[in-house]
Amino acid sequence: MAEERRGAWFGFGFCGFGQALGSGRGRQVHSPEPLRAPGAGLDVCRVSASWSYTAFVTRGGGQVELSGFTVGAAGGCRDAWASEELLVVLRTGPGPGAGTELQAWAPGSALRGEPLWAQTVPEAEREDGPGGDETQAGPLPLLPCARAYVSPRPPFYRPLAPTLRARRLELGAEHALLLDAAGQVFSWGGGRHGQLGHGTLEAEPEPRLLQALQGLTMAEVAAGGWHSLCVSEAGDIYIWGWNESGQLALPTKSLAEDGKTTAEASGLNEDGSEVKRVAGGEDGAPAPFIAVQPFPALLDLPLGSDAVKASCGSRHTAVVTRTGELYTWGWGKYGQLGHKDTTSLDRPCRVKYFVDKQLQVRTVSCGPWNTYVYAVEKEKS
Amino acid sequence: MAGPDALWEALWALLPRTKEELKLELGEKVEGSVVMLLQEAAELFYGDKRQECLQTCEALLDYSWEKLNTGPWQHVDKDWRRVFSFSCLLKAVCLCAPPGDAASVAAALKACDMGLLMGAAILGDILLKVTAVLQKHLPSGKRPAPDPSQEPLGIKKARNDHVPIPDVTSERTVPRLHCPSLQYFREHFLDPGRPVILEGVADHWPCMRKWSLEYIQEIAGCRTVPVEVGSRYTDEEWSQTLMTVDEFISKYVRNEPKDIGYLAQHQLFDQIPELKQDISIPDYCCLGSGEEEEITINAWFGPQGTISPLHQDPQQNFLAQVGAAQNIGLPPPPGPATRGLAALCTFKH
Repeated sequence: MAEERRGAWFGFGFCGFGQALGSGRGRQVHSPEPLRAPGAGLDVCRVSASWSYTAFVTRGGGQVELSGFTVGAAGGCRDAWASEELLVVLRTGPGPGAGTELQAWAPGSALRGEPLWAQTVPEAEREDGPGGDETQAGPLPLLPCARAYVSPRPPFYRPLAPTLRARRLELGAEHALLLDAAGQVFSWGGGRHGQLGHGTLEAEPEPRLLQALQGLTMAEVAAGGWHSLCVSEAGDIYIWGWNESGQLALPTKSLAEDGKTTAEASGLNEDGSEVKRVAGGEDGAPAPFIAVQPFPALLDLPLGSDAVKASCGSRHTAVVTRTGELYTWGWGKYGQLGHKDTTSLDRPCRVKYFVDKQLQVRTVSCGPWNTYVYAVEKEKS
Repeated sequence: MAGPDALWEALWALLPRTKEELKLELGEKVEGSVVMLLQEAAELFYGDKRQECLQTCEALLDYSWEKLNTGPWQHVDKDWRRVFSFSCLLKAVCLCAPPGDAASVAAALKACDMGLLMGAAILGDILLKVTAVLQKHLPSGKRPAPDPSQEPLGIKKARNDHVPIPDVTSERTVPRLHCPSLQYFREHFLDPGRPVILEGVADHWPCMRKWSLEYIQEIAGCRTVPVEVGSRYTDEEWSQTLMTVDEFISKYVRNEPKDIGYLAQHQLFDQIPELKQDISIPDYCCLGSGEEEEITINAWFGPQGTISPLHQDPQQNFLAQVGAAQNIGLPPPPGPATRGLAALCTFKH
């Protein structure tokens, strides 16, 4: 079903390389701003942000626009994935039956000249009907056939066991998360910060099922630098990994020492800044600081809101609720939380901008140090 | 005449004249975006745009810090550590621009220490030279006034003789020798991998008469060091953190500390060369199979009651103890001796 209301993209956080993020004034944007060109006026369906540049993919024309350290544009692309080491695009062939090509480019090339490598990739079986695009596997770094994914470090093309039936795949700094067709979550890679969720700090060479989530059906996964998150079909959030800046919404020592750590989520204020440390345990003892959470913890959003979408940056987290609100927490030094300041937070806080502007947030996509949001105007009743 | 201008001049005397000379040769692992930002930082630095330079340095510090935390430490590409050090250097110098104040100098010193602790040597060990200059220019108010209740370490030991000393039968004690010849040491202890206590070797080291808590604080009080908090590193509550030597002594050594804090296994003498002048490397160390550059010197500094759990070191070690006594337990080696510990303990003071 096509969108009945036209929406727009907004951005906030680090833009030290001049990447499109609202007004682009200075190196950081601390509150959401509507995106200017590129992307303004074009129907941007996907935003993939790396540290120094952002790639915008448009519907229809299949254009990829690059903004920041690398600037350029190219057509014929149905998907793009930006990292510092590689810019990966999926290009459709010129005619029907021409196949899809996966290309990996040096980011500095701005898609001019020749890619570093390219190969044809099989398509997924198409499912026609409403929302046809969404039922396919993807987006990048997972390939449409779901039989492999792209990595920014060699080997670039990494097969996945067909039995995995991957639906979504996300990459952190050292780990990978996979969501399968049945709503199960797998993780592998480095685990020194508990980001794999298996209860240890050990690495896993192959995808391993998260036993702690057995019996729950997940709808979304998101990977940050060293933390992981998934959202169940019921709208519950499970989160695990490194909490050094409060990115797990658990009390963190670094913020306590600055006097900024907070009470339990249920007792907070919306503007959030004044609430001091309060006893969290049942016996009145203060809740302990958590540096690493090696297996999934359930996270409640304020007011019992259900989550529908999530994305993680290097050390921050953003979640969209069913009612169209955006909550952010974690590292905030570059304004990537959108609360008009550079404070880091160890509990979820609503981004007031969208509430004030009567906007409903539909999706969020985090770069390492910034955040992009797609929102539509609220229905007028 | 001391003052912010004198400091500024002293720092600039250490730096290259032009931005072309202030550059790092970096390999492929460092992305073009970072190289660009480094160049921008150098340009801003020489262009006197200090606030903007500081902003650029923050981004470089945060990005390279993330690289330092990706993967095991031994696999972190040295270039990322050099990027980190470079950013620490520019940050430290920018912070000292006149009009400076005590807080800026302390912040600059902290930036240098971060570079020394986590970075890698650049531009001829420039961070060590910068820290030496900064220490000279610390306003005297920054250093703690000597505490009248202070005593040198040795006397403190005599007051605390409730520390239990294990009862060890004579067959199982480690032999003590007074300054054996190199050959004797090699034949009887190094090659067969047997431990020994060598007496008289470190008697004349300056540390034996100079080191006290006040002395350490005077030389290194404002320096940032890594501290392990918790009874032993196998405990759940154990953690590592950074703090100044002043903070460490006041929180974990003096004033009946509530928690155990231990400055453990840190190459303190590389970070603070002034302390290195108070010790010597025993001649016996050149009997080892490696090169002299491979000798590493670690320091352990802590209050009573610190424990290192049983472990095996990959290298041969000499241990020199300054101050209160230490109990060392050595299990017998598993087979034909391959690794050993030669303990060199003196209880002067």
